Amino acid sequence: MARLSTTTDVFNAIAEPQRRAILELLTEGELSVNEIAEALDLNQPQASKHLRVLHEVDLVDVRREGRQRIYQLQSESLKPVHDWVQQFEQFWGRRLDRLDDYLQSLQKAKTREETNDEPSNTEDGTDL
Amino acid sequence: MMSRATQKMERISEREFAVSRTFAAPRDLVWQAWTQCEHLQQWWAPEGWSVPVCKMDFRVGGTWHYCMKGPMPDGSEAESWGLTVYQEIVEPELIVALDQFADAAGNVSPEMPKMLNTITFTPVDGRTKVTNHFEVASADDLETLINMGMEEGMTQSWDQLDALLTQLQK
Repeated sequence: MARLSTTTDVFNAIAEPQRRAILELLTEGELSVNEIAEALDLNQPQASKHLRVLHEVDLVDVRREGRQRIYQLQSESLKPVHDWVQQFEQFWGRRLDRLDDYLQSLQKAKTREETNDEPSNTEDGTDL
Repeated sequence: MMSRATQKMERISEREFAVSRTFAAPRDLVWQAWTQCEHLQQWWAPEGWSVPVCKMDFRVGGTWHYCMKGPMPDGSEAESWGLTVYQEIVEPELIVALDQFADAAGNVSPEMPKMLNTITFTPVDGRTKVTNHFEVASADDLETLINMGMEEGMTQSWDQLDALLTQLQK
């Protein structure tokens, strides 16, 4: 088992757009170097070079099958990054839910003012 | 609890993300909700948290200094201070602002991550689409953010991991 990669190593590895593209491809399932190269319009040495970097930080695993090297997405290494993005997304999702509710309540209050309804003192504004 | 909207955070690059939402409200109102303390205090802080301090000087070069206050998972009370600097304002279409961590006196925490927010407000058939594009200042900043976890989000658990994570855990 290789040493555990640091988060920085992982960041450096995924900072390169083609390496991210490789990871995305591999989410669909394992692929040979040639299949990866073809899908991303790279030559085989370029693809191998990127795969080597990804392998060094444990983002991909490799096995031999005859003369082919088959790569698969491996890593727990991406998990912290992924979890953070997930949390960030949900944090903003909930924040925008609150804004949505707030905008609705503002508009309801405004409509009520404009139509000069009897003020209803129960529901207005309490659910902010 | 999942957000009710099905919008996905878009991963633009390793340090850039964007989130969009369309609100059933006119653009002027959405703009006000995003640029005035009396409104921000009603929705900016997470559930159970409040915004007890909100000082805004809404102009290019001006700042928004605010405090979010609320309970941590262990029951203790936490404060999180932010100082946002407005870099570009095109009313009512666009805000470019640098988000920074700060203290109660408004001093920016230099070792803490910074994030550039570009927020666009687009009218769509009487509704308003808001897109917030986030750019973490550097790879180091992103790493710090990840290692500290979402400071405001720590009180919340997250639900389902998507296909990538499922794959990773196999």
